[in-house]
Amino acid sequence: MNGKKKDIALCFIFLTLFLGGFLLCLFLPKEKYSDSERRMLSPKPEWSAQGIGSGRFMTEFESYAADTFPFRDSFREIKALTALKIFAKQDNNGVYLSDGFLSAMEYPMNEASIVRAAERFRYVCEKYLTEENKVYLSVIPDKNCFLAKESGHPSMDYEAFEKEMAQKADFAEYIPISDLLEKEDYYKTDTHWRQEKITDVAERLAQAMGTALSGDYKIHTLESNFYGVYYGQAALPLPPEKIQYITGTDLDDCTVYDWQNHREIPVYDMEKAVGRDPYEMFLSGSLSLLTIRNPNARADKKLVIFRDSFGSSIAPLLVSGYGQITLVDIRYIHPDYLEQFVDFDNCDVLFLYSTLVLNHSDTIK
Amino acid sequence: MLFSSISFLYYFLPLTLAFYFAVPRRFKNAVLLLASFLFYGWGEPEYVALMGLAILLGYGFGLLVERYRGKKAGKIFCALSVGISLSLLVCFKYADFLIQNINGVTGLQLSLLRLSLPIGISFYTFQIISYTMDVYRGEQAQKNLIDLAAYIAMFPQLIAGPIVRYFHIAGQLTHREYSLSGTAQGIRRFVIGLAKKILIANQLGELCGIYRDAQEKSVLFCWMYAIGFMLHIYFDFSGYSDMAIGLGRILGFRFQENFNYPYISASITEFWRRWHISLGAWFRDYVYIPLGGNRKGRRRQLFNILVVWLLTGLWHGAAWNFILWGVLFAVLLTVEKLWLLQKLGKSGGLSHLYTLFWVMVSFVIFNGENLGQAFSDLAGMFGGGGLPFVTQETLYYLLSFKNVLLAGVIGATPAVSGLAGKLSEKPAGSKILNLLEPVALTALMLVMTAYLVDGSFNPFLYFRF
Repeated sequence: MNGKKKDIALCFIFLTLFLGGFLLCLFLPKEKYSDSERRMLSPKPEWSAQGIGSGRFMTEFESYAADTFPFRDSFREIKALTALKIFAKQDNNGVYLSDGFLSAMEYPMNEASIVRAAERFRYVCEKYLTEENKVYLSVIPDKNCFLAKESGHPSMDYEAFEKEMAQKADFAEYIPISDLLEKEDYYKTDTHWRQEKITDVAERLAQAMGTALSGDYKIHTLESNFYGVYYGQAALPLPPEKIQYITGTDLDDCTVYDWQNHREIPVYDMEKAVGRDPYEMFLSGSLSLLTIRNPNARADKKLVIFRDSFGSSIAPLLVSGYGQITLVDIRYIHPDYLEQFVDFDNCDVLFLYSTLVLNHSDTIK
Repeated sequence: MLFSSISFLYYFLPLTLAFYFAVPRRFKNAVLLLASFLFYGWGEPEYVALMGLAILLGYGFGLLVERYRGKKAGKIFCALSVGISLSLLVCFKYADFLIQNINGVTGLQLSLLRLSLPIGISFYTFQIISYTMDVYRGEQAQKNLIDLAAYIAMFPQLIAGPIVRYFHIAGQLTHREYSLSGTAQGIRRFVIGLAKKILIANQLGELCGIYRDAQEKSVLFCWMYAIGFMLHIYFDFSGYSDMAIGLGRILGFRFQENFNYPYISASITEFWRRWHISLGAWFRDYVYIPLGGNRKGRRRQLFNILVVWLLTGLWHGAAWNFILWGVLFAVLLTVEKLWLLQKLGKSGGLSHLYTLFWVMVSFVIFNGENLGQAFSDLAGMFGGGGLPFVTQETLYYLLSFKNVLLAGVIGATPAVSGLAGKLSEKPAGSKILNLLEPVALTALMLVMTAYLVDGSFNPFLYFRF
């Protein structure tokens, strides 16, 4: 190819690229929701004199143009691969891949956040509990705890984190569970732990709280593929996973009441299992207040779990040890409203939170 | 509007180029002007009128200065034009800085104006001043308002330079050549500039941001930041200049170069011949020489250098760290002029290290939020504040950014262009280059699009000046 042909090629390619890109941007149908990123994409902004004068229209258009760019997911994959393979970046948008597991970097330890979380838990205890109630606390380490050191990514000192949390929440008996966990107990592409891998954790918690579980576990596997929340953030070509869930006699017979929407719901929501976030199949995802009743309970024990999304998958495993389990997510309901729905008499109380929430406790009401 | 945005690359640019090349020659400047106002208004809708007013004033004063040239009135009109242009700049850029310092010295409680800085005001103000001063010195004024407005508001160089002097492109405003090779050169230059910005500068900017937010700083991290910022500002600003020159070329203009591998300089004097060339030339022609330059004795020359560098520092921003930055260069240039320059010429590699060190120090001062932060960053580089030499976090980011840093270091030298030049001298090499270039540029463009689709808003550093 001589210089002139090269110039012709260059002009032709870039004419095609810019003009083609423009036409595709203009005429290709636009998605409203990104499945991979699990978020609504920016809509086309409305023209208005005020919007243009204030610059709002332009700002919104920038987001719209980037969000609805043709073949967006493929471009995001190209970016991720370039960053990781060519520039040898150790993470892409804060998400890294180690030994086949994706994780978001979670550091440094936010002491103010830990203090705040402990204060919010203390508030609940002082408002509703008496000396009759036994109060427990357990911290679920996020995946970094088992990945970061090995891969050289910065991470928190998880031992110090647990110690700090236990000290600040001195009104609760601390139940350590980190020693029972390893990276394989978590989904490769998601933040959460795998229900079928945490039966030992459930048993540790039950034992520490003075009850016993039936150990009647039947494992089922969903047919649909599962791509966790990190999959979309990392934008890397990784294989899908399968969600497994556990049933048993107690679970089959128990009922779940959703106070937020005033309805009965199943323990495992099969509609959500094929929805945008299949992990939401466990107790229907992020709901503020649920009560699980177990008619086959061997003991009339009651438990109130203050929890985050990790609690959705472990709570069903604790059902056989209790007649009633109430799950409260005080990120979605203010503790002051609980007296209308929860009777704390003769209840054990467990604060079960992941480091991901405790290290960013602004979300706790 | 940003060059490095989807809206510019895939909406504004194709539409503008389509209209620009579709209309007859006599309408091209009008299309360019309209597109430039849209480009400017996209980011600064509230300040389009201000730019329009500045252009009208420049146009009117240009005609008046020409009409009364050689008479006292001509001098007055020229002074008025410069004065009004500078007043606008002072009002929007320096008023709050002045008020803060007056309040600080006198104890008064004068209220701040809190005006947001109109993007590009420093650039277009300097272009208007140079226009009227050149007319005063004997050049012909532009009679066609659209042509003059198209020159001042021309979107490729409007908001971050280079500072294109009117009389360098006056002829091109009415007669410019369009050619396939010129367009191809423009595309090549634009894509390379965009790559400098998106693939190097933005990533190094991320590293600087991480340093700023880091909880565990270390001596090594301070050095990474200093080197990272030094490369970041070069790739950000020279990338923008490349894009401006490339877009200008596509539109038929030939802008002057603004950078010439400044980090290979062997002295600060040489550095300023290679860095932001258009700004240096502007201060030389409109401040240093009118003050007497080197024609009125050594003492006066050194005074003139100090004035020029105080103003250069202030031009970059209304803050004491910019003034200190300017003064530092005034001192270094004075020392070089008095005795060091000759010694540097004989010291080989040491002179490069000397230059890089002081440029790095200057940019750490430049990038501080305030003097305290700048000195704290500098102290950190030498173990001040009891910082450890290295932390786990530092090592992680060194590992994570090593390739970007390396690409930055290599890209800041003429190594790659030199290699390409040597290859192209041989027939086989030339063939390979001709084949590879379109492929490589297309791949670069796709990767950069991917970064933009995935990324967020990344304004150019020089927009704030």
